Amino acid sequence: MTVLNWKEGDLAYDSSVFVKGKGHFVDDLNLPGTLFMSVLRSPYARARILSIKGGLNGSELKAKMASVGEGADPSQSVSIQPVFATGYVNYVGEPVAAVFGDDRYKATDLLETVEVDYEPMKPVVTMDDALKFPPIHSGMKSNILVQSSRGSDFKDPDSPIVLEDTLENERVATNPIEPRGIVASYSDGMLNVWVSTQSVHSIKDGLVESLDLRPDAIRVMQTDTGGAFGSKGGLYPEYVMASYASMKYGRPVKWIETRREHLSSTNPGRGVRGKVKIFAERDGRITGLKGDVLVDAGAYGTGIASFSAGFIAMMMTGPYSIENGYVIGRSVLTNKVPQGPYRGAGRPEASFFIERMVDLLADELKMDPVDVRLANMSDKAFTSPLGMKIEPAKPFFESAVRELEYRREVKLTNGVGLSFFVLVPAVYPGESARIIVKDGMVKVWLGGNSHGQGHENFARKLVNEELGVPENIVTLFRGDTGMTLDGVGSWGSRSAIAAGAAIVAACRKIKKKVEEENGNYSPELLLSGSYDEFVYEEQKMSLNSFGANLATVEIGKLGNVKIKKCAAYYDVGRALNRDMVIGQIQGGMAQGIGQTLHEGLYYNEDGQLITSSISDAGVPLAEDLPNFTVKIAEHRSSLPHGAKGLGESPTIGVPTALIRAIEKASGKRLRKTPVTPEELIQ
Amino acid sequence: MHPSSFEYFAPKRMEEAIDLLTKFGEEAKIMAGGQSLIPLLKLRMASFPYVIDISRIQGLDYIEEKGKFLEIGALTTLSEIEDSELIKERYRILREAAAQIADPLVRNRGTIGGNISHGDPSNDMPAVIMALDGKLEITGKQGKRVVEASSFITDSFTTLLQEGEILSKIMVPVFDGSSGGCYIKQKKNAGDFSVAAIAVHLSIDKEEKVRRAGIGLTSVGPRPLRAEKGERFLEGKRINDSVASEAANIIVSESDPTSDFYGSADYKKKVLNKIAVEAINTSYERAMVR
Repeated sequence: MTVLNWKEGDLAYDSSVFVKGKGHFVDDLNLPGTLFMSVLRSPYARARILSIKGGLNGSELKAKMASVGEGADPSQSVSIQPVFATGYVNYVGEPVAAVFGDDRYKATDLLETVEVDYEPMKPVVTMDDALKFPPIHSGMKSNILVQSSRGSDFKDPDSPIVLEDTLENERVATNPIEPRGIVASYSDGMLNVWVSTQSVHSIKDGLVESLDLRPDAIRVMQTDTGGAFGSKGGLYPEYVMASYASMKYGRPVKWIETRREHLSSTNPGRGVRGKVKIFAERDGRITGLKGDVLVDAGAYGTGIASFSAGFIAMMMTGPYSIENGYVIGRSVLTNKVPQGPYRGAGRPEASFFIERMVDLLADELKMDPVDVRLANMSDKAFTSPLGMKIEPAKPFFESAVRELEYRREVKLTNGVGLSFFVLVPAVYPGESARIIVKDGMVKVWLGGNSHGQGHENFARKLVNEELGVPENIVTLFRGDTGMTLDGVGSWGSRSAIAAGAAIVAACRKIKKKVEEENGNYSPELLLSGSYDEFVYEEQKMSLNSFGANLATVEIGKLGNVKIKKCAAYYDVGRALNRDMVIGQIQGGMAQGIGQTLHEGLYYNEDGQLITSSISDAGVPLAEDLPNFTVKIAEHRSSLPHGAKGLGESPTIGVPTALIRAIEKASGKRLRKTPVTPEELIQ
Repeated sequence: MHPSSFEYFAPKRMEEAIDLLTKFGEEAKIMAGGQSLIPLLKLRMASFPYVIDISRIQGLDYIEEKGKFLEIGALTTLSEIEDSELIKERYRILREAAAQIADPLVRNRGTIGGNISHGDPSNDMPAVIMALDGKLEITGKQGKRVVEASSFITDSFTTLLQEGEILSKIMVPVFDGSSGGCYIKQKKNAGDFSVAAIAVHLSIDKEEKVRRAGIGLTSVGPRPLRAEKGERFLEGKRINDSVASEAANIIVSESDPTSDFYGSADYKKKVLNKIAVEAINTSYERAMVR
């Protein structure tokens, strides 16, 4: 076993090391004397705990989880998850106790030494059951975690066309290639934490709150992070346990998630249903939309569910100029692992609902779906009745139809789908950056952390542009609360926008200092001095961007879908690095295909997870994927560096285009992802 | 992987392996390629105090025609079957089945002996060997015995292997020129086990009537099934659309799928019906060409 000496150089972030097999992931960190942690989890979806004997459990560590990170809602109180279940367990996979061994085999063996007596109870498994049955937590009036509405209610107009449908996205595991993991090491009054994460600041804030620590007595450092897709932005019970145990035992404590644990116990995304009603004229114009959105929150309000219901409701009219809109969003508690963000985090769901309805309207009117969309968009900016600001949509859409060669494709085959969406990136409240210039080198830290996107590329480029220094002397470091006072995180298509803007602001502050000291600025003057600037650059304006996808498919007689073409045309703002942009879009398109055809988390009536292996949970394989066509439009944003968001665009646009293509090829109305061969077999 | 602790043996000779198996009895488990056993150990769904890795035993890795039989050593990997020139030329059905198992990583390690002796109703090789009227050579303390492949798997994960016995050789009859077969497998996703799969092997006479039919089914019953009624129905007939379709209905009636995550029983029957028609037609065409 190698003991890595984590010097500063090892903390430099450079994604080119990954293809060489030289990343420093959390499981590569082997501190002397490390204890390995294994977690005993509930085998029941719902049960009363009569007794627990052995291990570290809730009788000793009474801490509760903290709601931090993307879509956090600190206002939840009754439905906050305890770090260890006491009294009751509420989902299969919920932590009940932890054991610690000198190696991972011993730690796993020790799980057998913990004795738990359960009295199983009838679980609330589906969203329908959640609405029907008494609350799973005492102290609540119902299983409704939150209820909110967007827009104002309106009287059903006397429209010639009224269409209503119920549409659903099954839960999806985030399944990054590297599962979650943490090393916590406490010594001399300081808790050092290394973690695979999207945000060191969220993890720090969460641990401070959950364990009641002094903020200056904890430092959270990011290790190389092998993907996250939303699941590594917030706090998890295991992080609190490992930190506590490290303080208790005075030894480093390591926990590495297994894939099975990931599937049962890491917050999955989606799991959303929408009942949608549209009112339309015969020319295709939609005059009103009503919606009722249900989010499967899982067992606790510590995930993203209390945020996502209202967020989805806000985006339900999509990029279209629909005058009347009223959407109710509710998140309901069920005996399943809490819902979390998954690439898109509400955006794909909202887009699925509106795009499926627009296609239904096209079929009803026997119109081309493109013409129906054109009938509902404007040359002017539009503020939707649900509160979303949209730039003029029509010019972009018209060019998308051309760029994606839609008119040609529909002549060639019946199985064609086209989607259109507006991406709402999570730019608020901004992001931080710190730049240190010393010894002729430029070092950069960001508040949000790259987990595979390659932030170092835009960091180098922006520093080069702002300060005129060569890119090869600029180094981005991994996230580290010891180096940045404050920060947000990488999610919601925000980093190039918000972190990029923070880098630009920090560079300009430094440049000004150089000018003040020297009377003028040159890169040589900069590099001969020493500078250290931290900025937290606020972002408040809306920076939406448009995107469109096209898919064509053939369906075999056994119902298997063969994707012939999968194309994207997105406005990415100014592309700071074209290769990274295209790579990110291709990866997201694979995930969009995964959600549409392969991926889902299924539970039986007892709340047991059926899809407990990665092959059952259904990640797409190379064999399932077509060649991607990626085209980008670069309409600069109003930010100094011109960036817009893009990370989530493909998981928004691909499912809607693909399901439409399948619908056309099969002749069957499709309402749910994933679409299975069983539905499509002739 | 973090399994429970076990003692590991890697004998180089068959006799040694049999001695160890006899000594440890039910506490021992044979491992060949490890592609079924290791996932079970890793997830701690099974634990065995003794694991006997037979992969180093010499002389169990071969593919050769000997007289009336094609003989395949039990340790031959699925990749070796997929890549064999002899099999590509003369036993296409075997290649088709091998090439559709899981993914290349699994096929590089997984062996034909392991694929059969695990007794998994979703493993592909048993149905093919059954359709070919294959025989299995079993080696034990008392020497060797040969059993019909069709009777080898008695129930889910249960075989005729007695304590101290190892499946050592797979024997497939050498059919004459006017024979052909194919293996069709329906999967939900790439790399999956099948929803349903079928092996059909037909020999035809000079009048182009089916002289002999062999049909094996995967994933549609508690064990790999032989569709004997379907076989008898086809024998003596020329294949056309209505014969194939009627045979498929008979084959489906012999299946016994259960509803599970991969699909409802009705769906599996629907799939089986379609792939049965296709497999019968394709096998007949291949038998005619030769």
